[in-house]
Amino acid sequence: MPYLSQAERDYITEGVQSDLRADGRGRLDYRALVLETGIISQANGSARVRLGDGTDVLVGVKVEIDQVEPDADNVGKVVCNVEWYDILSFCFHYVHGYDSNYAKRTISSPSASQQFEGHGADDLNNELTQALQRVLGGPQCGINFEKLCIIKGQQCWIVYIDAMILDYSGNVLDTIFMATKAALFNTRIPKTQIQDLGDGEFEFEVLDDVEDAERLDGIENIPIGVTLNKIGTGHIIDASPLEELCTEAKLTIAVNKDSQICGIQKGAEGGIEPGLMSEMIQTAKRIGQSLIQQLDQKLQDEERQVDEKRLNGENIEKLGFFAMV
Amino acid sequence: MDVQILSPEAPSKTNSHKNQNAMDVDGGDVQLVMPGETITSDLQFMRGHGTYLDSESTVISSVAGVVERVNKLISVRALKARYTGEIGDIVVGRITEVAPKRWKVNVNGRQDAILMLSAISLPGGIQRRKNEEDELQMRKFFAEGDMVAAEVQAFFVDGAIGLHTRGHQFSKLRNGSLVVVPSALVQRCKSHFHLLPCGVHLVLGLNGYIWVSKPVIGNPESTDEADIERTYSNKNDIIDDAERESIARVCNCLRALARKFMHINDTIIIYTYEASLKYPVKDLLKKDVVDSITSEASQKLTME
Repeated sequence: MPYLSQAERDYITEGVQSDLRADGRGRLDYRALVLETGIISQANGSARVRLGDGTDVLVGVKVEIDQVEPDADNVGKVVCNVEWYDILSFCFHYVHGYDSNYAKRTISSPSASQQFEGHGADDLNNELTQALQRVLGGPQCGINFEKLCIIKGQQCWIVYIDAMILDYSGNVLDTIFMATKAALFNTRIPKTQIQDLGDGEFEFEVLDDVEDAERLDGIENIPIGVTLNKIGTGHIIDASPLEELCTEAKLTIAVNKDSQICGIQKGAEGGIEPGLMSEMIQTAKRIGQSLIQQLDQKLQDEERQVDEKRLNGENIEKLGFFAMV
Repeated sequence: MDVQILSPEAPSKTNSHKNQNAMDVDGGDVQLVMPGETITSDLQFMRGHGTYLDSESTVISSVAGVVERVNKLISVRALKARYTGEIGDIVVGRITEVAPKRWKVNVNGRQDAILMLSAISLPGGIQRRKNEEDELQMRKFFAEGDMVAAEVQAFFVDGAIGLHTRGHQFSKLRNGSLVVVPSALVQRCKSHFHLLPCGVHLVLGLNGYIWVSKPVIGNPESTDEADIERTYSNKNDIIDDAERESIARVCNCLRALARKFMHINDTIIIYTYEASLKYPVKDLLKKDVVDSITSEASQKLTME
């Protein structure tokens, strides 16, 4: 359990009050992001997002064919998982294609940040997985689930979203949301060709051609999360680790590009007054929309550059983990 | 709201691998090595910390760091390692546990340092011995989470660092915030307590923890009850916006120096601070501004 002294708590709280935080930011200032997509060649889509000088999230998206659920036979689904970095499960899942939980059971060593070692890491994994799943698992995420169905009543695509937290310096959930949106933007699903065998029997074929693979339908509507931390009487976005320790209550609001609310989750022990709550929601809507616009812009720019290089026959080099921090 | 979304940058290409195998160990230059890199294949050298021998008895580095040589002993000091104390070091730590007659203090070491109740200045005269009453109210002096400036006094048999806070400059820390940098960056100097010209007080802990604050007023050498009270106070003085901004600016300058992996001492901090004055404080988190202020500061330092 990380501690904070009373004097530091007061200093941070007063800083929020006077709109000048410990690192010179105002209440509603975001730290700089570093983003790269398509760094895992084995995945259908991937992105790594770094925030400020610490928080580092890697998201891989893998699509697999599976049987449809009996009670909803015309839709596919999205399955999310968030984990603190564990080098073995990472290697097993993406390099060898093994189940990451198998590796985790064999040798378990949560790292990333000392303060989340041991059982604390499991609780946090669950909390973040649930938060992501609640927003992306249903129709509020904007993805067209019916398009994920290949043959009605039989087979569908399942989209697995695996987020790995490599390092931590605050505001990890918002970073996961942004990395997820970027990874889904980068995701391509292979095309399928359905053959009618008569008698209501169908068969399908997955086309191998990479050029034929297409984007998920409704990708532009995927929401991102904006976490507002209530400290004293004010609220801030993009909290640093020390600020998170001072947080009385926090509200994570998932907002899409039309600033519609796609989910709200409250965290930490403190309460939020109704007046402040609606103020926080308004702030989140405004900030979420602006963040999405800038993120989309960046993703499109990056994609255009890659396409240009491909047209000119240049080698497309992803920096991945060789990037300078 | 504007947010900077950057693309990752490729590391700059350097040609530091000039003479791979025949590195001159006696050379005056600082030699940086990577894990697995050959330091020397000369048989006369012995391997020290951070190195290993391969089958042909060549000394190879097992960490990324700086090569150090004492006579025939070669060792590598890692660039990012936990803090190993030396007696007389000034450190900044956070209390993690209150134990019988002692506090455990996190100083970024391999294990928590120990601050004995008998090693702090007690109220009612510096020379007073601890008594049972003090033992029962240890949290009145330091509670879990409190920040403290201390000096390394001794080592325990298990290698744990023993601290003391006797003396007027050591006290509970308040009025500011903590910046954490790699401990290798903080240089040993005559003094680790600095009052910068901008009115910001600094405690440069050799363990990489740096306390940036508004100076505490009052006569620190006086032994009277009110001043001792102030030593263990949890309440911040009133900090106005200008002071808060200076503290934030110094914090960001320290972060900028750490990001560029530059040595940290009072001179370079002042130069970086001066170079930073033309930018608003929050812009000091941006990469291009960090590059500009740190290079300006290091230029100024080499000009002297």
